[in-house]
Amino acid sequence: MKTMRFFKLATWLLLSGFASAQIPNAETIHETGQQYKEGNPLTGASDNLAIGSQAMFEANLKAKKNIVDMKPNTFLSLWNNPGFAVQFEKFLSAPAETSDAARLYRKRIDRIMELLSPGNATKANQDEAFNLLPLASEFESDANNCTTIHDAIYAAANAKVEIQRLTEVDQELVKKLNTAQYNYRQSAKSLSLSGQPVSKEEQASYEKNATELRQATLDPSKDEVAALKQTIQKNQAQIATAELQSKFALQSLILQLFVQRRYQHVIITDRFYRALFDDGDQSLEGFQQMADKLGYNQAAGQVKLIADANPNGSAAAGGASGGAGAPGSGASAGAGSNGAGASVGNNNYYGNNNGGDATALSGSGVHLGIENLSVESLENAFVTGMKGASRTFKSLSQLDAFANEIIRDVNEGVKVYKFLLEKNELESASAQLAAVFTKGEYLPSVRLLTVDEKRKTLEYAQLCNRLVNAANSGNIDVLSDVVTHMKRLNPTFDDAEILAKLQGVKTASTLLVAQAKVAAAKGDLQSVQTEITRAAALWPNNPEVANFSTEMGKVSEAASPQVQAINDFDQLYGQKNFRRIFDEKEKYIAAIAQSPERQGKLREVLSRMQEIETSILRAQEISRRGDYAGAWEGLETTFAQYPDDLKLTQLRAEYSTQAPDLVRDLNAAKQAEEKKEYGSSLSWYLKAQSVYPMSDLSKSGISRVVKQIMPDAS
Amino acid sequence: MSRKKKSKGLPPWLVGFLVLLIAAAAYYSLTKNAPDSSLRTVEELSPDLYYENANSLRGNTYKIDAVIDSSLGNSPTKGRLFSVAVKGSDKSGNSAVLPVLIPVSLGNLTIQKGQHYLMKVKVVENGLLQAEEAIKP
Repeated sequence: MKTMRFFKLATWLLLSGFASAQIPNAETIHETGQQYKEGNPLTGASDNLAIGSQAMFEANLKAKKNIVDMKPNTFLSLWNNPGFAVQFEKFLSAPAETSDAARLYRKRIDRIMELLSPGNATKANQDEAFNLLPLASEFESDANNCTTIHDAIYAAANAKVEIQRLTEVDQELVKKLNTAQYNYRQSAKSLSLSGQPVSKEEQASYEKNATELRQATLDPSKDEVAALKQTIQKNQAQIATAELQSKFALQSLILQLFVQRRYQHVIITDRFYRALFDDGDQSLEGFQQMADKLGYNQAAGQVKLIADANPNGSAAAGGASGGAGAPGSGASAGAGSNGAGASVGNNNYYGNNNGGDATALSGSGVHLGIENLSVESLENAFVTGMKGASRTFKSLSQLDAFANEIIRDVNEGVKVYKFLLEKNELESASAQLAAVFTKGEYLPSVRLLTVDEKRKTLEYAQLCNRLVNAANSGNIDVLSDVVTHMKRLNPTFDDAEILAKLQGVKTASTLLVAQAKVAAAKGDLQSVQTEITRAAALWPNNPEVANFSTEMGKVSEAASPQVQAINDFDQLYGQKNFRRIFDEKEKYIAAIAQSPERQGKLREVLSRMQEIETSILRAQEISRRGDYAGAWEGLETTFAQYPDDLKLTQLRAEYSTQAPDLVRDLNAAKQAEEKKEYGSSLSWYLKAQSVYPMSDLSKSGISRVVKQIMPDAS
Repeated sequence: MSRKKKSKGLPPWLVGFLVLLIAAAAYYSLTKNAPDSSLRTVEELSPDLYYENANSLRGNTYKIDAVIDSSLGNSPTKGRLFSVAVKGSDKSGNSAVLPVLIPVSLGNLTIQKGQHYLMKVKVVENGLLQAEEAIKP
């Protein structure tokens, strides 16, 4: 019964692929179960997919979640962020920036900061620092940030010059306005017509003439006053706009650099800002208004902000295409009716390199433009960072102080890292380095760490990465291997919980295999499929799963008609049941066509049976003539060669009763011959021959025995 | 009184002559059949007994009244082997065919198929019958 169930299961395994083409696949285990209850055979890939998905989900719950999400230590938890993991590995593999160029860069940055320090910020030092910015930007790790600062300061300085020029123009215009207004008043006082109207009829004509005269005399002065007023107002508006725009641009740059963690650049720009403007503690107020209106662009990469303040509050739209930049975002700039603006196209994230027209961000009289798009990471954190920074810092002084504090903190963190590394406390050291990297990736103390100093952490980081990947893949064998490596590299690594969870998963998988075996014994194909798929999902390399698969493979092979035929052939051949093989020869010929080693055996069987059958046919033909002794003799000869054939034996026995004297005489002769009683044997043979003179057995027996008696007989 | 005629018997000399004649004939007969006289005391072979267990008869000498059936073989060292039909001697009354070896010592005998012989045979090793004497009856 059990064998039948196995065969049924094996048949399902073989035929499931064919059946799937006929019956709609179930999408869930529940549907599959329903189909099964309704009598539909289990079908192929879709069912397995559904079961596998569910099992993987369960595996995630049981394994991945328990292993990865338990966060055995701080450092490991960092690897849950793949973006960070990639960046950090890149940093760990990078050589220390100890080249001459890097040294020169650091020297220039230090010099700039020294020139702009509060005690040294004279006009000459500011100019020298300003001129050093493009030189500092030559080094690639600066990422042209110094050039950006240089340009922004240059623009701000130009704006200040323009403001000064407009102020002086306004002062001149005010003087001209005063003169024009005086002239206008004097003209109005002295203006009158000569003579008086003589009649009522002339009165109207007189007044009309007087009005025309007044207008002709006063209008030029009046127009001049109005024009001067308008020009002055316009200039005042431009002064206000230019100052606000330049301040805003610098503030945005400072905050952007802060979010980029370019703290030295923050301090440099901040000090230039203080040299140009005197805002006091409310310097970031305008920027906060802008940041509140800043949209969150999920598709945008890391960007640099440029911002323009426009008191008129006009909207601007970018009309130009972002162009074929790197996959990510396209940016465009355009001019609005009352000011400049920039826009970012966000419809080009996945493979579309054309930045489309986009609308500039604007609000509360501020335009925000984005340019210099990059594919650096942290792009999604940028807007959040800007908003956070704007809320955190109320003035540039705070920002300056905070940047200095971070630089100090990072420098101290690097020292702590080296200390922990020296003490072989790898887990703490790695966590410290990750924290230092996160805060001050671009600071000199971090950049000067050598590969050797980072090597152990790199190995540990890679193992952590593998740990997370292994947990995500659900391959707990790989996971075990990684944990072992981690423990070897870092003896302080706490692997107790992970190992406990791994053992739990393995046990669960093995139990599922046991359930599958029970289900197989019951012929419950649905449960077999479900349980074994779950077991494999939990522990893909579970030896129990492999064994089960092997067993199922054997069963399925045994279920094959061809394999079954071959097995039957082997069994019958072993039993020497050649008659059965001969009776079903068509089946075995077909099956053994693919098995060369059995073809010889089959040929031998068929040849032998052919001989037996021929002998039987001949004996039957002889017996039909009444010559039973001859029939028996024919069979006896064949029987001596093939004594195992049942049919031959039966027929021989039957004919022996029809010729008992001959049979008896020949048997006696044979027995005596075997005893070497050749005289007696010869006499029996002669007697048999006398009974049946045509007896070949007698003749051959006589000849044989005579040869024994007289070896030299002729 | 009549007197009976006295009858005449065989003359005594004639009787004497006849007695001598008979005695001479008997003597001749006995003299002429001298070999025959040697088989007279030999036991006749029972084919059935021989079939059943020829080995147990080994060493015994028997006489058989046989007709030559066929030659089975001829060996320069051992002699000639014939199958002979022993007359009416098996249970069913049929003649039994037995092999008889005519040794080289009896090589002067001319034996052909169908000839009738009285043979004195001995059961030798392997249960074979070997002729010691063979006379035509």
